[in-house]
Amino acid sequence: MKTLDQTAREAGGRIVAALAAAFRDLDLAEEAFAEACARAAAVWPAAPPLDPAAWLYATARRRALDMIRRRSVRQRLTPDDPEPEPSAEDLLTSDTRLIPDERLRLIFVCCHPAVAPEARAALTLRLVCGLSVQEIARAFLAAEPAMFQRLTRAKKKIAEAGVSFEVPGPEAWPERLAAVLSTLEVAYARAHEDAAGAGTHAGYAREMLDLTAVLAELLPNEPECLAFAATVRFAEARRPARLDAEGAMVPLSEQDPARWSRPLILEADALLRRAARLNASGPRQLRAALHGAWSLRRSLAEPPPWSAILALYDLLLAWREDPFVRINRTVALAEVAGPAVALAEVEGLDAARLADFLPFHAVRADLLTRLGRREEALAAYDRALDLGPQAAERLWLMQRRGEVAQAL
Amino acid sequence: MQYALLIYENEELYRGANGRSFEAIIAAHRALAGELATQGILKGGSGLKTADTATTVRKAGGEHALHDGPYAEAREQLGGFYLVDVPDLDAALAIAKRIPFAGDGAIEVRPVIEEG
Repeated sequence: MKTLDQTAREAGGRIVAALAAAFRDLDLAEEAFAEACARAAAVWPAAPPLDPAAWLYATARRRALDMIRRRSVRQRLTPDDPEPEPSAEDLLTSDTRLIPDERLRLIFVCCHPAVAPEARAALTLRLVCGLSVQEIARAFLAAEPAMFQRLTRAKKKIAEAGVSFEVPGPEAWPERLAAVLSTLEVAYARAHEDAAGAGTHAGYAREMLDLTAVLAELLPNEPECLAFAATVRFAEARRPARLDAEGAMVPLSEQDPARWSRPLILEADALLRRAARLNASGPRQLRAALHGAWSLRRSLAEPPPWSAILALYDLLLAWREDPFVRINRTVALAEVAGPAVALAEVEGLDAARLADFLPFHAVRADLLTRLGRREEALAAYDRALDLGPQAAERLWLMQRRGEVAQAL
Repeated sequence: MQYALLIYENEELYRGANGRSFEAIIAAHRALAGELATQGILKGGSGLKTADTATTVRKAGGEHALHDGPYAEAREQLGGFYLVDVPDLDAALAIAKRIPFAGDGAIEVRPVIEEG
């Protein structure tokens, strides 16, 4: 039998979403589910349920109804009798498949533009993925009470402002879906940044895979949504190869493709193909295609796909000019057209705007090194290091800087 | 649920030579309000005279002090409001997006405290 923890992790989002949709009350849904879990901890050891998720759902539903009744009769002196535990008969008629899947509605509620942007991802991870406040606080580098406050405020706003629990209609669809996708992108970027995979952000990389799978399943005709699900898979596929033995970051072109997860790559590939068949291109598909181009490489003996990468960056820039994308493009440009051409491009960018963007300095440092301008390269590495990179990236930058210093 | 849609815009856009745009915007407001009233959505609302006609009564330390002008000096001022009754925030936001403006402006959408 599945343990309570495992059931709560796997089915919690679905149960909370179903309760939230039924009662239009996030707090009530959360509380009822928490009480059902507490009840399960007490009851399951002696009487394990046939279907743990259905048991939790049935119990949480009863608790919720009970709480609503208690609220409305708070003045009365004698409380109603508590609801009984679900009987075996109840459970025969309510297996897991009967828990309605309302996670999409809940994701749209959590990522509503009326909710503060910094609270959206946290709320989604809390309610749909069942992460604890402590886990989320750690992931977002916030103190636990502050994160608790932020979540409470967001839930209060949703309740008081009358945020709808419906999946938005066609007229609001593009705006609302964009809010959902960009929220999840920001959340994933944080999970991905943690290259070591052992740190706090990586804690919910797993949940991002689940969440995007839910979105791809429930929105099968939204190409940008499928593409984002593909990107998360391509990127997670590389996690085992992102660090060397010393814990330093390994750049994409130096990662051993044999260490990438093939099953995840195949999953991502299938999603990207499905997106392409829908015949509506978009920036997320291009970004997923960039990852896809890399994933075609089967070994370090094969040349990296620089020309394809360069072409995809050009398409991405044709969609929207973006200095951050342009910096990444120069890495491919250096391989295709040489470091001098790439450096000229880098020097032509708005340096003031990119001053705090670490890749700008890291790319510049590398190009200067390759052109033999070592003093300038060292200064650029120092700038990059000053920006406080994550441990793995810092180690890699220090290795590179060390090589240049030695050659001086 | 009832929402107040508070309209903030730059009054300069309606002054002097811009008077004509004022007429046009007022007509657009009337059309929108008429439509919302027929649908039973509109519960109230009004345009307000310009902020230079405002008098602010401030209570501080048990004393009332009066001063000439709006509550807050800002480039964009409260110029009017709609009170609407709709099922949820999305519906209120959709109406807010239809409110006419002469130039740039903002609508603050605030849920109204329900009585009883």
